[in-house]
Amino acid sequence: MSPMHWDWLVWFLKANVIYGGLLGTAAGMTLAERKVSAWMQYRHGPNRVGPWGLLQPIADGVKFIFKESLTPDGANKWLFRCAPALAAIPSMLTIAVIPMGPAIPFIPGDYKYFSITDLDIGLMYLLSIGGLSIYGIILGSWASNSKFSLLGGLRASAQMISYELTLILSILAVVTLTGSLDLRDAVAAQSGAIWEWHVFSQPLAFILFSIAAFAETNRHPFDFAECEPELVSGFHTEYSSMRFAMFALGEYCAMVVIASLWTTLFLGGYNVPFWEDAPWFLCIGAFLAKTSIFLFLFLWVRWTLPRFRFDQLMALGWKVFLPLALANLFLTGAAVSYGVKLW
Amino acid sequence: MVIVRRKDLSLLEKLYLPEIARGLSITFRKLFEKKITRQYPEEPLPTNEVTRGQPRLVVKDDGHIACVSCGMCEIACPAYAITIDGGETDRAIEREPVRFDIDMLRCILCGFCEEACPKDAIYMSNELELADYSRAALVYDMEKLKRPKAALQKRIDYVYRLNNRWRKSSSTR
Repeated sequence: MSPMHWDWLVWFLKANVIYGGLLGTAAGMTLAERKVSAWMQYRHGPNRVGPWGLLQPIADGVKFIFKESLTPDGANKWLFRCAPALAAIPSMLTIAVIPMGPAIPFIPGDYKYFSITDLDIGLMYLLSIGGLSIYGIILGSWASNSKFSLLGGLRASAQMISYELTLILSILAVVTLTGSLDLRDAVAAQSGAIWEWHVFSQPLAFILFSIAAFAETNRHPFDFAECEPELVSGFHTEYSSMRFAMFALGEYCAMVVIASLWTTLFLGGYNVPFWEDAPWFLCIGAFLAKTSIFLFLFLWVRWTLPRFRFDQLMALGWKVFLPLALANLFLTGAAVSYGVKLW
Repeated sequence: MVIVRRKDLSLLEKLYLPEIARGLSITFRKLFEKKITRQYPEEPLPTNEVTRGQPRLVVKDDGHIACVSCGMCEIACPAYAITIDGGETDRAIEREPVRFDIDMLRCILCGFCEEACPKDAIYMSNELELADYSRAALVYDMEKLKRPKAALQKRIDYVYRLNNRWRKSSSTR
């Protein structure tokens, strides 16, 4: 086969492996969520399907597929059907640019990193595509012709727009340090010793990014899009069956993507600390281990903290986090332009 | 009137993040604590002689049930769960049931049959599980109700102990 065919084959295989991993992790997260919540409340969690309940996500999936898919009267049918896909697809697309490891030696072709694409503006691609997922939520909530859905959708859009600012500004501080929108450069800049990680050179950006990540993925304590006690179930009140599952899938995929972005930007990506040219499988292992720390953090925080009030959330976002992120970006920019080594 | 003053928060508490960390540490510790859920089918409910489960017929050591089909339990039963047809026997007691059915769907586990029985023939066991696929299968006949005396001995002793509080002489032990 010609080299170009090789490229296509390699690309196809990589896409399959990484998307399979993403969807598998998202499914596993649904089980992990129930298990962790159960353990924190002295319960066992699901343990009947398969050994230790490990097959529970499959049982859930089968059940979702066989449930009746209801469309409420007065719903905009076309948008109502589109919205779950619109919510799920952007978060799945964004995993494409995350570098998960160095080049794997026995893969032919000119690939330097283990990611689906080698994109120079990966970060920008990730943020812009990731920002699209709000369309699924707001369209779904509007199309279902229900006041609870609409309120949930409005809250979600207001929240995601305000916290996206903080998220992007905190990322920009890291970008200022590395001088590139390429995620591979961010990883390369953090290679070597553990104190090269950006979590140490940009602690404030790390904290702001962490909080904004919770808000961006609509997770506790910022899950105003759902908000069971006030809005029944928020934007997916009227959804059932696999359409509902698509929303959940989108949410969990977004969590996985944000966790891997967290790892890539602040915890040195796939770098093994103090070992610059570690073998490729160790690097991928390090990446997965670091990402799973953040995935666990999502669950851990959810079952610890109560939900904020909506006005508190907005005040926090605009009056505290935005000025802090701006100040952090300004200071970082000043330090970089005057050549001051921050760390 | 009580004036409740909110506690003045220190700077660390106002920053909120250290307090979040404290909350997280609590939930993390709880992850590894002992689970209190009882895994029911594998871990059965604890029972003892005080447990008033389903009524069972006592099979004496000679292999016969003690019942003489007097019908006392049938009358005592508030739920009309017991049906007895009497018959004759060549044994010294002369009478025995040819049919002794308890409809477990009607039985309310009150224990009146146990109190009414003059011959120590029916006792409440510690068996509590009751599930089947048809109503007919839950009408227990004599063969399903029979239990060896040894299996019910603790309950029998307990009932005697209970009754001896006010009745000093026991007649048919």
